[in-house]
Amino acid sequence: MKVGSRLSAVVLAALLLLSSCRTAGPQTAAIFAMDTVMDFTVYGGAQTLADAEARVRELETLFSVTSEESELSALNRSGGGTVSAETAALIPAALALCERTGGALDITVYPVVRAWGFTAGEHRVPSGEELAALSAAVDYRGVSVKGNAVTLAQGAEIDLGGVAKGYTADRLTEQLRAAGVESALLNLGGNVQAIGKKPNGDDWRVAIRDPQSESNVAVLAVSNRAVVTSGGYERFFERDGVTYHHIIDPATGCPAKSGLLSVTVVAESGLLADALSTALYVMGLDRAAEHWRAYRDFEAVFVDENGTIFLTEGLQSRFTPVSRGAAVEVIRL
Amino acid sequence: MKTRRIVLDALFTAVALTLFLVELQIPNPVPVAGIKLGLANLVTVVAMVLLSPLDALAILAVRILLGSLFSGNMMALLYSAAGGALCYVVMLLLRGVVTARQIWALSAVGGIAHNVGQMAAAIAVTRTPALIVYLPVLLIGGTVAGLFTGLAAQFLIARLRPLLPRFLPTQTTNRGEKKNHEESETS
Amino acid sequence: MKTRSWILIFAVLLAVCSVLTAILFARRPSGTVANIYRDGVCVYSVDLSAVEEPFEFTLTDERGSNTVRVERGRIRVTDADCPDRVCVSAGWVGENGSAPVVCLPHRLVIRVEKSAKADGGIDAVAR
Repeated sequence: MKVGSRLSAVVLAALLLLSSCRTAGPQTAAIFAMDTVMDFTVYGGAQTLADAEARVRELETLFSVTSEESELSALNRSGGGTVSAETAALIPAALALCERTGGALDITVYPVVRAWGFTAGEHRVPSGEELAALSAAVDYRGVSVKGNAVTLAQGAEIDLGGVAKGYTADRLTEQLRAAGVESALLNLGGNVQAIGKKPNGDDWRVAIRDPQSESNVAVLAVSNRAVVTSGGYERFFERDGVTYHHIIDPATGCPAKSGLLSVTVVAESGLLADALSTALYVMGLDRAAEHWRAYRDFEAVFVDENGTIFLTEGLQSRFTPVSRGAAVEVIRL
Repeated sequence: MKTRRIVLDALFTAVALTLFLVELQIPNPVPVAGIKLGLANLVTVVAMVLLSPLDALAILAVRILLGSLFSGNMMALLYSAAGGALCYVVMLLLRGVVTARQIWALSAVGGIAHNVGQMAAAIAVTRTPALIVYLPVLLIGGTVAGLFTGLAAQFLIARLRPLLPRFLPTQTTNRGEKKNHEESETS
Repeated sequence: MKTRSWILIFAVLLAVCSVLTAILFARRPSGTVANIYRDGVCVYSVDLSAVEEPFEFTLTDERGSNTVRVERGRIRVTDADCPDRVCVSAGWVGENGSAPVVCLPHRLVIRVEKSAKADGGIDAVAR
């Protein structure tokens, strides 16, 4: 009898523990930062989420290019100076990606983007002479970093917008992992970072937005991966029947015309995915496919102007199209 | 002698091709990809037992190639070739083991091998490993079809064997066959 | 080898395969999503339980075309220009445990699978 009651007590206690495990739902937060809305879903303590939010705020003040008080704005005004360790770490990493993509990504394209009015929302079409003058200063090789000291070439300004969210996602991932979080989904305004799998062991299901409608084109099942999409459909304006989108080709100073509507990059590093989604969009399908073959440290999904979906070989098993009768092609080695 | 042999092989091939093409015209009673009677296999079995493995190989290869050409389905060539090759190898190995009254078994094993080879080719080509769930069904199909054609071949061989010397007077049908034949008569 | 042993071998093989077939195809989960694969890549996905009006569409590539008809709970190939047309004679496949439709000449496979609705159950949207 005594043994029996002790046994049942143990069983009850175990059941209690188990049920408490199961009821621990995710902590969620919607954060307005870096000119976008971020949705965080974290399976872990409430404090880890608060810490993550604080970290986002901290990085935002460093990397914002539009905020007058930000470190980056000060750097752009003075053409050089000493920056925080965080910025001093990101700039060389971003420069390496500019180099890797042969300038398809260029963090010094900012003056051109501003001339098109994409930074302030006052859109205009710059004249050819204006673009030529501004483009002359666009060259990431004019940026040098020594320790915490950054020097810019004459007339150059840098914008980390194409890499800041990816970098932030990487830092948050580190921080959450260090806090013992094994499962989380961070959506930094469309830059998705999946940490681990869902608590039930399933992959996270990340949809890719259809560039031509409000729906999605496909769903990717991922774990421990960043999924970042770049597309001209995000921000654009129309003048005299011509559509101008916000992804500027550093080589021409004009919106990239590569035949692609969107590029989604899946990589372990959020920074890499963020940088490549823009760069591959500028490159166009053929050069992008060559880049994938040369590096193989990421996978990608492309949607071209005909609505055809191209995916790299490694995503085959993770990819489910949504739309009816979609044309899908696989890019192989 | 050589000419007679070539003519005989060609005759066998023609029969195999005819069977193959006729079968294509008949609606398949079992609508599962890869399952069919495979009447042409009958000829392969007969050639393997009555003539020689080399004759059988020639007949099989030409039949598969021309069959795919005639039916206008070159995609099927790959599957037929994979199935045919595995079927041939397995039957070649088993040829010495079975007696004249067990030709049905030889053919059934060949049928199984054929379907396994086809399945392997299909998985490789379509990159769909999940097709493997078909295997049990294909094994059943291969066995049943092989049994049927094998039994038919067995009866045919019994009738044809006495006629063979007329076609190939100086026939040196391989000794293994003769031995098997005698064995079966004594058993 | 005795004839009897041959019979035994085939009997056992047939029995095992029958049981396996029964297990593999009868116990199909009652999924309602039909996925169409070409060369092993899912090129089309439809939630069969959500089909309001039956519809047809044609999948075409350089190997040829297959016309697929979708009704609530089931899917089939109605027409194809492949030589053997096995995919057409395979008839309907649906929720209640059917084998996949295969068109080998066109390397097309249609499978009814249990999975979350392709459009639903999404955790995030990359944009």
